[in-house]
Amino acid sequence: MKAVLSKCLRAFKADGQLRFGVIGVIVLLLVIILAPILAPHDPYSYEFVRLLPPGSEDHFLGTNHMGQDVYSMLIFGVGTSLKVALISALISGALGVLIGGLGGFLGGWVDQVVSEIINIFLMIPTFFLILLIISLFGNSIANVMIVIGITTWPGNAKLMRAQALSLRERTFVRSAVALGETKTQILFKYILPNGIFPVVANTTRSMAGAILTEASLSFLGLGDPNIISWGQMIYQGKSYITSAWWISAFSGIAVILTVIVFYMLGDGLNHVLNPKYNYGRSK
Amino acid sequence: MAYIEIKDATKWYPHKSGKLRDIFRKDKSFVKAVDGVNLSMDRGEILGVIGESGCGKSTLGRMLTRLEDPTKGDVLVDGVSTAELIKKDPLKFRRTVQIVFQNPFDTFTPRDTIQKILLRPLKHHKIGSSKEERLEIIKKALEAGGLVPAEDIMQRYPHELSGGQLQRISIIRAMFLNPSFIIADEPVSMLDVSVRADIINMLIDLARNHDASVVFISHDIALTRYISDHVAVMYLGKVVEYGTADEVINNPKHPYTKALISNCASIDPFEELATIAIEGEPPTPINPGPGCYFAPRCSMACEECLKKYPERYEVSPGHYACCDRIES
Amino acid sequence: MNTVLSVQNMNVTYVNKSKRVMAVRNASFSISKGDSLGLVGESGSGKSTLAIALLGLLPKETTEITGKAIFLEDTDLLSISEKEMNELRWKKLAVVFQKAMNSLSPVHRISTVFEDIYRVHEPHATKEEIHAATVRLLKLVNLPERVYHLYPHEMSGGMLQRVAIAMSLLHSPQLLIFDEATTALDVVTQGQILKEIVQMEKELETTRIMITHDMSVVSSSCNKVAVMYAGEIVEFGYVKNVMVHPQHPYTKALLKSFPALKGEKRKMESIPGFLPDLSKEIPACVFAPRCAYATERCRAEKPLFHSREDGSGTACFLTEGGAD
Repeated sequence: MKAVLSKCLRAFKADGQLRFGVIGVIVLLLVIILAPILAPHDPYSYEFVRLLPPGSEDHFLGTNHMGQDVYSMLIFGVGTSLKVALISALISGALGVLIGGLGGFLGGWVDQVVSEIINIFLMIPTFFLILLIISLFGNSIANVMIVIGITTWPGNAKLMRAQALSLRERTFVRSAVALGETKTQILFKYILPNGIFPVVANTTRSMAGAILTEASLSFLGLGDPNIISWGQMIYQGKSYITSAWWISAFSGIAVILTVIVFYMLGDGLNHVLNPKYNYGRSK
Repeated sequence: MAYIEIKDATKWYPHKSGKLRDIFRKDKSFVKAVDGVNLSMDRGEILGVIGESGCGKSTLGRMLTRLEDPTKGDVLVDGVSTAELIKKDPLKFRRTVQIVFQNPFDTFTPRDTIQKILLRPLKHHKIGSSKEERLEIIKKALEAGGLVPAEDIMQRYPHELSGGQLQRISIIRAMFLNPSFIIADEPVSMLDVSVRADIINMLIDLARNHDASVVFISHDIALTRYISDHVAVMYLGKVVEYGTADEVINNPKHPYTKALISNCASIDPFEELATIAIEGEPPTPINPGPGCYFAPRCSMACEECLKKYPERYEVSPGHYACCDRIES
Repeated sequence: MNTVLSVQNMNVTYVNKSKRVMAVRNASFSISKGDSLGLVGESGSGKSTLAIALLGLLPKETTEITGKAIFLEDTDLLSISEKEMNELRWKKLAVVFQKAMNSLSPVHRISTVFEDIYRVHEPHATKEEIHAATVRLLKLVNLPERVYHLYPHEMSGGMLQRVAIAMSLLHSPQLLIFDEATTALDVVTQGQILKEIVQMEKELETTRIMITHDMSVVSSSCNKVAVMYAGEIVEFGYVKNVMVHPQHPYTKALLKSFPALKGEKRKMESIPGFLPDLSKEIPACVFAPRCAYATERCRAEKPLFHSREDGSGTACFLTEGGAD
């Protein structure tokens, strides 16, 4: 355990992107926890002073057309974005790892079926599928997360399958077979732990994509109207873009920053989790 | 009856040209990686299997341990068919037959400590009743294998150990299951010269003191002579010569064995190398035959050799060769 | 004597942020025209580092090289610029690596590769000229002429390794370096190539350094041998002396790890212990911790290379003066 911790610490020190990502995520988490303190107003309260420009007393990022405080909305929007990112990434990662891992490890017809399913999913224009499902099943935030999850797993499955395919030929997997371990044991003990890291890195990066997708859906008016999300803010600000640019602009910047944080985290993880990476230690 | 009997061990892979018409072809062609190998071994005997890359010696090893299913054939251990054993009691089969791999650096999962790695097979095969007892077994085995201090080694990760140490641990792990049939597939070819003897001596100890029958697969002929009681020479999936180690290596009969041994570099600088050249390189075993597989490259080949596969002759007691043109 | 290469007090150190690994330490040897030298050692002995350093192929930022390597009387391989080195490579100094087969471009015919290399130093050579020169070399390494028009994937590993050897001979270099060039080959192919190399040398009078971990390769193809351990040359001499009467305890122990092909079986013995940490200065004999004969002196003081008139000798207190 200690060894793992010290490894993490070394990696953290050595990799700039990882550092940026980790600190960024910690800041985002702090914002979620401290939201009631950080936000000066209730984002759901409507006031009479509408479309106040930024820099106004009491509303330093201004208010929107409903008189909601833009700054407070941004703060509360972090939670929505992170929730969407995390849950959809978990769904996509779990599906991808299991399906891809099984296909690659078992090989034969299982692998052929898995590969074909992956290919079909990769061919479908994902965003339109999402649009379709959301318009059919309603636009609750839960639906949005599930839909993003089940449309992005093929990328992870492809990665995991490639990993499993090469791990299957490794001596330690063969020796596990020779020692009498069952297929299930081998899959969970050797294939997944040794092959999961590129998927973890990829999933982290795809969190950025999930945030964008949620924002896009909201922008098209297909987000969950009952919660505050950045995409929704951009969408609402759209009609006022000439008179009240700040509604869309600040939420847009928030989306961009969060996406960069997750992208950096994913990229950093990709470096660090690579078995060939030596944690800044010389060989 | 011999303790181990390898009967007609055969592994054919369907040969695909990668073209669509493969699907419709009835007369499928095959890569005959191992083609009807019959061998027998006594208890505590070491059998060396030599040959060039692509001769099927490693496939044979993987087949004997059922890492690959044979196309045909069976192995009897003490009269028990392993083909039936693996269906009825796979764990017992694994306890009977074990393998030591070529690459010690890849034999253990890189994410676990040696202790964790060694605990798994013990638990899986219910050896020892508690964790403490199992740890004690591991510690004793490591110490007996010269891996001291054992407590320190147990806490290490595989990449922190040397190839020699890892290979010793690999043999120790196989020995936990007390197997009676062990396949060592090029166990020292990736190790430094100066630590090879440790592994070799451990394998000899396995045979002599634990009564295990050991198949030693190698391309190093001098080493095979050193360790083996009997030697089988393979060419394109078939055993072409078999006999006691000294007999086969000092007095080879098959033209291929002769060429193979004559090309072995010796460490004696005064030994004149009277190498026998072989034309061409070993072909891939795609539908070889019908004649002797070696005939196309053999200097002694005649018409007859290209027509039918030669018989097995006993050139002297216990020394067999598959060649019709052996002058005795 | 006509010295082709004379290496004097050569040191190679790999440097990074936290460590300095002294991979080759104080190596000196020389090789004269037409001679063949085997450089043997296990992994970590520095034999390959030494060769790669001589060829100027180590990254400049992470290595420090000191000492001299006088090539052909006037050129110091260790201090010349990259441009000068490029002038020498192929023309006067050629190398064949273990996986030479992987270094051939898969989309070009052998002929194209040969033409390219030939024109590096003879930009105006005609196709016919090159073809003639190549076919002669291919014959030398026992390859048929048709190989000239083949693609690499159409040939086996042994053939490709032969092509690589032929390629290295293209400009009749003064010095050939084989870095484990036959290691990956099958017994029969290796035996044949070794034989061809020895024969070829009689005709061409090339000088060769053969880097290998296999004593038997040196024994059957070289005239002299340098045994390396932990970055140092511990024994140097004629193959026929060293292989039969090794002086240095390491050479003795190493030879004991090779079983004989013929004759009685000697017991194989391992060398206990490990390679020392090369990132630390070793003020004593590098082999002392693993040596069965080590004395107090061996552990306290560094034995210098003690060389006799013919250049042979050892770095060991126990053999000073040449006594066994």
